[in-house]
Amino acid sequence: MERDALASVPPGPIDCETAVQRLWDYLDGRLPPVAHDEVEAHLAVCAVCPPHFTFARAMQRALAASAAPPAADDEDARLRARVRRALRG
Amino acid sequence: MDHHTTGRSGPAVRAAGDPDAFERLTMPHLADVARFARSLTRDAARADDLVQETYLQALRGWHTFHADADPKRWLFTVCHHAFLRNTRRDARYVDAPDDDPELESLATATAHWRAQQSGVAETAERMDLGPAIARALAVLPAHFRGTVVLVDVEGQSYEQAALVLGVAVGTVRSRLFRGRRLLQDLLLAYARDAGFEAARPSTPPTGPSSDSPMPPTTAR
Repeated sequence: MERDALASVPPGPIDCETAVQRLWDYLDGRLPPVAHDEVEAHLAVCAVCPPHFTFARAMQRALAASAAPPAADDEDARLRARVRRALRG
Repeated sequence: MDHHTTGRSGPAVRAAGDPDAFERLTMPHLADVARFARSLTRDAARADDLVQETYLQALRGWHTFHADADPKRWLFTVCHHAFLRNTRRDARYVDAPDDDPELESLATATAHWRAQQSGVAETAERMDLGPAIARALAVLPAHFRGTVVLVDVEGQSYEQAALVLGVAVGTVRSRLFRGRRLLQDLLLAYARDAGFEAARPSTPPTGPSSDSPMPPTTAR
């Protein structure tokens, strides 16, 4: 009975420090559901925290976009040939 | 241990396994390894050297490779090791046992808050992050660059990155958070250097980065 009551407690309001401590875990989707919902609820009403999360997310998107594009076919072929030559001594 | 890149593998290693089998298994991953190498080195020529060294090192370790292991992960591990080995000695880093990832999250937000106070955040938000991120990654210490590239650029999970790096998931998390915070510091420094810092007369300077107010600029 007590365990059921605890399981149904809705996420409580958290303060800015707690929200921000969870910044990267939140953006990486690695928070347990209650902790995640607590951060989301905080961001919905806080005037200070959302821009920190927005900028961090923008940086992550820039990082994902920074992956080197696939090499052109001739570059790929040249590197492949070079590696094969090296492997065969 | 010397590391020849001239292509001479000891006859004992080659005899230990079928070199054609090695190539059949590993060459299909060359494009992925090359992309990883370019993200790590930020330099096409050094990336190609790193790819060659990776395959030579992998061939040396071929006899340790189990048939049901993941060849791409193995190649990434070898590549990352080779990358770190080529890093200058004095740039090497040892994980501090008491690294606190939550503090890194706090520090990240605090730095952004300060940047808001000085107007730098606004500039950073208008910047094209593409070139800035490339610059920042190039100067990020090698130790953090590997982790950030694996997770944030290559899109691997913490668990996948932990296997490539041969460390605990907690270590990936703490290196990742610190690496990201260092990157953000660099991005904000580039925004500041761009000279667009708005004059905010009511806000006192904070931290070592704002010891003299930048003059207002009309170049936007």
